[in-house]
Amino acid sequence: MSTVEWGYRSAGQRLADDVREMLREQRDYRELLYQMTRRDLMLRYKQTVMGFGWAIFMPLVNTVVFSIIFTRVAPLDVGMPYPLFAFCGLLTWNFSASAFRFAMISLTTNTSLVTKVYFPREIFPLSAVLVALVDFAVGSVGVIALMAYYRVTPTWTLLALPVIVLVHVMFTASLCLLLAMANLFYRDVKYIFEVVVTVWMFATAVLYPVASLSNRFGLLLQLNPMTPIIEGYRSVLMRGSLPDPVSFGVAATMSAVLLVTCWVAFHRAEFQFAENV
Amino acid sequence: MGEPAVIFDRVWKKFRRGERHDSLRDLFPSLVRRMVRRQPSGDLADQEFWALQDVSFEASRGEALGIIGPNGAGKSTSLKLLTKILRPTRGHCHVNGRVGAVIEVAAGFHPDLTGRENVFLQGAIMGMKRTEIARRLDEIVDFSGISAFIDTPVKRYSSGMQARLGFSVAAHLEPDVLFIDEVLSVGDMSFQQKCLERMRENVRAGVTLVFVSHNLQAVAALCKRALVCGRGRLLFDGPTEQALTVYLQAAQTTSARGGTDQPHFRLLNAAFKTRDGRVCHTLRPHTECQLTAEIECLIDAEDFCIGIELERTRDLLYCYGTSSEELGMPLRVSRSGERIKISIDFTAHLARGHYRINLNVRQPRVGRFLLFAESAADFVIEEHETYDGVVDIAPRIAMSTETAKTEYVQPATIA
Repeated sequence: MSTVEWGYRSAGQRLADDVREMLREQRDYRELLYQMTRRDLMLRYKQTVMGFGWAIFMPLVNTVVFSIIFTRVAPLDVGMPYPLFAFCGLLTWNFSASAFRFAMISLTTNTSLVTKVYFPREIFPLSAVLVALVDFAVGSVGVIALMAYYRVTPTWTLLALPVIVLVHVMFTASLCLLLAMANLFYRDVKYIFEVVVTVWMFATAVLYPVASLSNRFGLLLQLNPMTPIIEGYRSVLMRGSLPDPVSFGVAATMSAVLLVTCWVAFHRAEFQFAENV
Repeated sequence: MGEPAVIFDRVWKKFRRGERHDSLRDLFPSLVRRMVRRQPSGDLADQEFWALQDVSFEASRGEALGIIGPNGAGKSTSLKLLTKILRPTRGHCHVNGRVGAVIEVAAGFHPDLTGRENVFLQGAIMGMKRTEIARRLDEIVDFSGISAFIDTPVKRYSSGMQARLGFSVAAHLEPDVLFIDEVLSVGDMSFQQKCLERMRENVRAGVTLVFVSHNLQAVAALCKRALVCGRGRLLFDGPTEQALTVYLQAAQTTSARGGTDQPHFRLLNAAFKTRDGRVCHTLRPHTECQLTAEIECLIDAEDFCIGIELERTRDLLYCYGTSSEELGMPLRVSRSGERIKISIDFTAHLARGHYRINLNVRQPRVGRFLLFAESAADFVIEEHETYDGVVDIAPRIAMSTETAKTEYVQPATIA
């Protein structure tokens, strides 16, 4: 409803109203979220020969390259077969990175929809997250295959996997909302992001444990929620242990706060999109 | 009746001319500026203008409301505010019920998806369930008349085909309120007729229609009530027929046409009536009409004649033109201060539509206009018999059947 309610509302009440409205919109438009995700998936693989195979192939190529480097050139002990370590890291990292990339341009590439039709704009970045999530699910077949090959059997800790996926998705979605909005107002964001994401990846435990870096960049590395998330996957799948409660707990709390903050900010800026795109 | 379906309450909308800061480099200066002086929403900053100023109207359930006005009058902005694409700077607007909107032909279509996939996408944008859309799919495709291409990507469609599909989706997905913005112009004649018919059906079924168009004939055919907008303000709200007159008069005063460097004459008054003396605006074809006018000579003029032009207002089609000289009357001379009474009798052999008469005074020898009074009179021809066209030739069709007497002979093959 576009009725503007005049009169005073406290900040807390306003927040509660906004959250209620956001959730109601997502419920009303869940069909559209599904259709948009389907659309993007179809478009992505419509004229490709390998189709969803790309979702496994891309991290696999990188895994092979880094496996050669870190087993032959500069051997590295990661406590498990290195290809498994790297593939798991790359796949989970790629989920976030590709969601960021798609979400960031989702509003600016759909200008005609943004300026000509109304529906909750969150649909764009959120469907980017879902598309990346589908790729992630397909790619995880590769993890299963590698685990079978190296005879790594998961234990009961596998039950904690949904929690880790949830935190991962929440964190990814919140940055997606933020990036989509930022790039709509300032197109520089796209270029800055490319630099940031490269540096960020090497500051995260994607290809090697980051413990060795922590002396110099300690605090910064600890605040990076991607490392506990990726390590969390490795713990519950391959090490048979639960993720570190402190660092993962911080990451989970941060993700939840970030999601609410970014979503509310997005929602409140939404009505300016059509004029600024 | 209950609550109105569409409410527009003292709405103001501000826009900015030119480029906005799009780069981070400009962000910080603008943030500082914003912090230093808080600008109240009622004032216009540099480069800003009001696209809508204090516009209020309502439409009740099942009503068809037309909106007409020149380009830049704020018609599309109003629809964008109603569909929540934009938010008013001041005031508020509200729509009760599910909205079907065609702001621009096929705006929600994705070029790489097929027509069928786009129907589902478009339906989802309107907030419908997949099953609901699936149930109506056949009807939508049938109506659009492009069933052979429904599995072809939309990027291969012509703009007419896109318009057909776009309209079909919006009109068939059971909206409570339907917003249509100048989309019929793309379709061909028969499709336009079909759309008008469909909209009429929708309105009869209780759908509220807000129809923005430059096709005055279509507005007149569809809406009992119309708004006239001009430069962001509401100029008129009332019966469509009066609205058309207001619009045409407004167009006349702002017209840039009329090649008179220095008008030698002034139109004092003009009246239009039928030959039997009725002053009326809506006529049947072949009605005998009379246009009377009085002009005043401002500067001495010689060798001039009086001319008229008949135009169809929808598309400014030049239907007929003549002058006193062409009708064999001598050229005239006039002194300043003189008043000339003119009366022109003619028969309106015209097909349905809205027409206007431009009156002019010109010097045929030097090809100079001394007066150009655009739309000195205007009228509507109403009839439902002709399919298309301008001229009513009053045809009579006779048919008779005969049995062929000569047998069909196979032509001899030439060796």
